[in-house]
Parts: sequence; C-alpha cells; structure tokens
Amino acid sequence: MPVFLGDTPVIRRPAPPPPVDPAVTLETYYRVQQFLYLECRLLDEERYEEWLGLLTEDIHYWMPLVQARYRKDPKPRYDPHRMAYYDDDLFTLRRRITRALHPTAWAEDPPTRTVHHVSNIEVERTDNPDEYRVYSTFTCCRGRNEVEESVLHGRRVDLLRETPNGLRLARREIYITQSVLLSKNLNVFL
Amino acid sequence: MPTLTTGSSTRRVGWSKDDLRSLIDLEKGFIDRRIFWDQEIYQLELERIFARCWLFVGHESQIPNPDDFITTYMGEDPVIVARDLQNRINVLLNSCPHRGNRIVFAEAGTRRRFNCNYHGWSFAADGSLVGLPAEELYEQTCPGFDKKDFGLIKARVGTYNGLIFATFDEEAPPLEEYLGDFRWYLDVLLDNDEGGTEFIDGSVKSQMNCNWKLPAENFVGDSYHAAWTHNSGAVGMLGQPVGKINQDRSFAVSVNGHGWQFGLDMIGNAMTLGEQEILDYLRSREQVVAERLGKIRSRMVGSVSSANMFPHFAFLPGHSTFRVWHPRGPNKIELHTWVLVNKNCPEHIKELYRKGVMRTFSPTGVFEMDDGENWEHCTATAAGVVARRQKLHYGLGMNSQIEHDELKGEVHLRKYNDANQRAFYRQWLKLMCDER
Repeated sequence: MPVFLGDTPVIRRPAPPPPVDPAVTLETYYRVQQFLYLECRLLDEERYEEWLGLLTEDIHYWMPLVQARYRKDPKPRYDPHRMAYYDDDLFTLRRRITRALHPTAWAEDPPTRTVHHVSNIEVERTDNPDEYRVYSTFTCCRGRNEVEESVLHGRRVDLLRETPNGLRLARREIYITQSVLLSKNLNVFL
Repeated sequence: MPTLTTGSSTRRVGWSKDDLRSLIDLEKGFIDRRIFWDQEIYQLELERIFARCWLFVGHESQIPNPDDFITTYMGEDPVIVARDLQNRINVLLNSCPHRGNRIVFAEAGTRRRFNCNYHGWSFAADGSLVGLPAEELYEQTCPGFDKKDFGLIKARVGTYNGLIFATFDEEAPPLEEYLGDFRWYLDVLLDNDEGGTEFIDGSVKSQMNCNWKLPAENFVGDSYHAAWTHNSGAVGMLGQPVGKINQDRSFAVSVNGHGWQFGLDMIGNAMTLGEQEILDYLRSREQVVAERLGKIRSRMVGSVSSANMFPHFAFLPGHSTFRVWHPRGPNKIELHTWVLVNKNCPEHIKELYRKGVMRTFSPTGVFEMDDGENWEHCTATAAGVVARRQKLHYGLGMNSQIEHDELKGEVHLRKYNDANQRAFYRQWLKLMCDER
C-alpha cells in the first residue's frame, strides 16, 4: 500500500496569500524607494543632521530587544515596555547625534565606516491617505579601526508621511536577528 | 538530592602560588598584563573564582510566582533560576545529567517541568528528575538506577533584599559573610524605600572583546576615567562636560573585594539621564531616605559613583543600571544589564528610567559606547609580548586610607584613587592562590 496522507487533517494545506495593495502606484513605490536609499546614504556619509531632517517632529524610533520565550508563553517576545536599544523621540535622537558628532567622542575617531543596504521594500496604504506603511529589510555592515567588522541584519516597519517638503519618516520599528548583540556597541542608526 | 559536584574539575596548571603572587604588586601598585590574556590563568579563574564565589544570578522580581524561571550563567556554566511550588528559589545547572544537552533555551518564562529535548528526561523546579521515557527499562536493566541520583546539579542559593546569589562551592562562607559590611552600602539602592525594588522587564545583552576584569575594575573604582572618556556623552545628555568633583568630599570604600566609589552630591549620576522629573523624584525623597538610612547614605542615592561586587556584578547609583560581565574566555565577555527601580516609584518615572538608561548605559548608550572601545583595546594590546612585559600602574591614592565615623569597610579619601582596584586584585589573588 502506498502511503497517502492527502486527507489527513494533520498535514498542513495551502492558504490564500494576503492581497498585494493594487492602489499603490509605481510612482509612490519609486519615491519611497528613493527616500529609503537617500536615508542610507546620509547615514553612511555621517550627515546626521540632514538625516534628522528626514524625520517628522513626532518621530517614534523604536528598536526593541527580542526575548527568547517559548511559543506557548503568553508573554510576547517583543514588548514596548521592556528595555530596548532605541525608544526615541526627535529630541533624544538629537542628543545622541550631539554626542556622535562631538570631537571628544573617542570611539568615533577615527570614524566607523558603515554601509546600509535596504531591500524587500513593500508599500501599503493606511487609513490616513497621507501615510504609507513600508516594510523593508536591511543589512548594516560596520568596519572599525583595523580589522573589526560587524554585520547586522534586520526587518523594519516604517510609517512614511507626505509633507509639503516631501516624504518624511514618522515611525520606525527595527527588528534584528541577534538576541545577544554580538558587538560592543550599536553606534549606528538602522 | 545530588551533591553539588560529583568530581573534581580542577586540572593541574603551571601557575604556582608564587607565580600568581608575582603578578600583583599591591605595595607599589603594579599589575602584570598577563592576567588579561593568559588562557591558563583564565581557566584557573573559572575554577577558583567563578565556581566558588557567590555570584549574582537575578532579582526576585524576575521570577515573582511559582513555576517562573529565568536562565543565566555562573561563569561559563549555564544555569536555570527557578521558583518552585513551595516558593523556594532554586539555581540549577542547565545541563542534562544523561547526555549533557542544554535543557532550557528560553531566557525567561513559566514552566512546571523542564524537559530535555534529546530524550525527554523531565525535571522539576527543584532540579529533581521526575520522569523519563521507558523508565521501567531503566529499572529492569540498570542495576542500582535511582532517579534521585540524576537530578540537575544544584547551587547553594541566598538572597539579599531582592538580589539572588548562588555558589557552586559547598565550602563557601554564608552569603551574609561574603557580602559583609557591603550590605550597608547595598541598602542605599536596595532599601531606600519600604516597598523594596524590582528590575524593569528586559535584559540588554551584548558581547565585548575584553577581559572580564577590565569592566569590573572600571566599575569598582575608576572615577578617574569618567570626565575624559565620557566627555562627549555628558555633552549629549547635559549640554556640558562632566562637572568637577570635590575630591575631598568623595570616597572609595571596599569590603572583601567589593567596592564603591562615590561623592555625596546625591544626584550627579542621575542628572545624566537627562530627565528633570527623575531629579525631582529623587529630591522629593531625600528626607525620607535620610530618615531611613541616615544623611550620608541619602546623599549616595544618585551621586556620581560606581560599584562592582566581586567578582563581576556591577551597578551605577543614579543611572540604576545593574550588570554582569559574564566571562567568555580571557578576551571576551557577555554583558547582561538591567534597570533597578523602587517598586513604589511612580510608573511614569520608571518609564523615564527605562529610556534614560537605554540612552546612556546600553549598547546604544552615549556613555557605554566609549567604555567598550577602551576595554577592548586594553585587552587586545596584551597580545604583544613586549606589551605584556610592561606592568600596568595602579598606584594612585597610596596612603589615602582614613578612619571614618560612619562609613564601613576599608575607606579611602578621594575617588580619584586606585584603592578599590587594588582591593579587587587583592581579593582576586587570595582566591586564585587557594589551591584546595
């Protein structure tokens, strides 16, 4: 007898995939993509004050820790009230950048070299016609001093807003794959 | 229950007591750089320090209810810290006695039983083996097999005002003795409010390529680095450099290798969290704290200060960051950090502490970033044989010990002082020379 499992309820079946939003135009997608690329370049060129200029006044910049918890655990693996790498508003980001650009930021002199790659960009409409939800993935490679190298991979969920000055970042969630950060610090924005 | 250990893990190594003593010159204040690099010294540290000292493993608030657990490390040994149904706290080696597999992989959670993924051996929160597949075959075919002999290895556990400590050494003195008069100082943070303390949820974990003693000696008594190393962080958080310290109103105190350096400015560290409401909160409590702990300790609550408990548990009053420098070889650590707050602290102030510590003393923190760079390169340069021949200077503040009416332990005047670091290495040497 051949083994036939097709009718066994235990074996998983295909489900309908979520629809792709047809109302997001190619032009919108292109503008979002250019925005994200520009942002990467500003960060890689340490043009932090211009990078701040890409953020809205009410930016929420959040990079949570992941907690390794069992699947059955009712507590979430990410929680907004837990410790985080970033949980910042515009003013606290300005503070960080003030330190990073200060001539006595010894650990940044000579400067860290970074390359940000962004990929897997998806754009969705939201209830607000001026705002888009944007999914993307990134890698960030840092080189420091002579042979130090650190690579981070992650996913992001952004809220981009149409403003009179163009698209601006209003919210970012950053999820990296590492639960123990395999570096001495996280001296980059992602 | 099984005994703590069932055999000696101590290897014979090439470092005699005299060799070890030659590394640490407390009279003149010189330290041999091989202690930051040598693999055999590191193995001795794991055996004679980390397998013997009382080590911090968690805060009671992390496991408030029966069946709650967290996982952490004691040296390089993974452990489970679990609260059982009798409300006792157990610290168990996180390794199955059958084939050695790690048992718990989550960092926190709630479980009645810990099941090994490999063959399904099942352990209770007190470490006892409570079940295994095909148990009847073990009974029939393994003469003398008794489940009681195959529980998880248990450490001795002690608590002090919410902090949980454990040791794998049956001969270690009681925790009270190990902490000694340092408890009087710990109460500055652990007992300044009748409601006690808790950790904010979440442990930030990162790795640094440095020897574990470099951050430990930094926190135990290196006030000297702060103004220079952290100038940029202070500018970011305060808009100005680190303020001048009145050295003649500051102290370095130590007990059994534990050390705390501090001024009496009450809020200096807390100021760099950059939140006025935290300062208002601390000032509003000054009188209450003074009534509870006395005036001098009320002035330590958030002052410019730092502390390390031997061997590797450190904290910053004011910032409220608590941290452990887990050793991962002679030139690597895994840093785990938490934020301690009073349970009775208003929720919105707790939230300000959470974010404030994240911005200052976490991998993205404007102060921690410059520390890590220093410690890594203090370690890396020891790779050179010529560098290792040069002993490092720890001679600041010789002859600065004073008698003080209130302060306990060994008290030195002035926090720009290597006295606590010398006390740390005196304790290190004492334990390293214990050949039992």
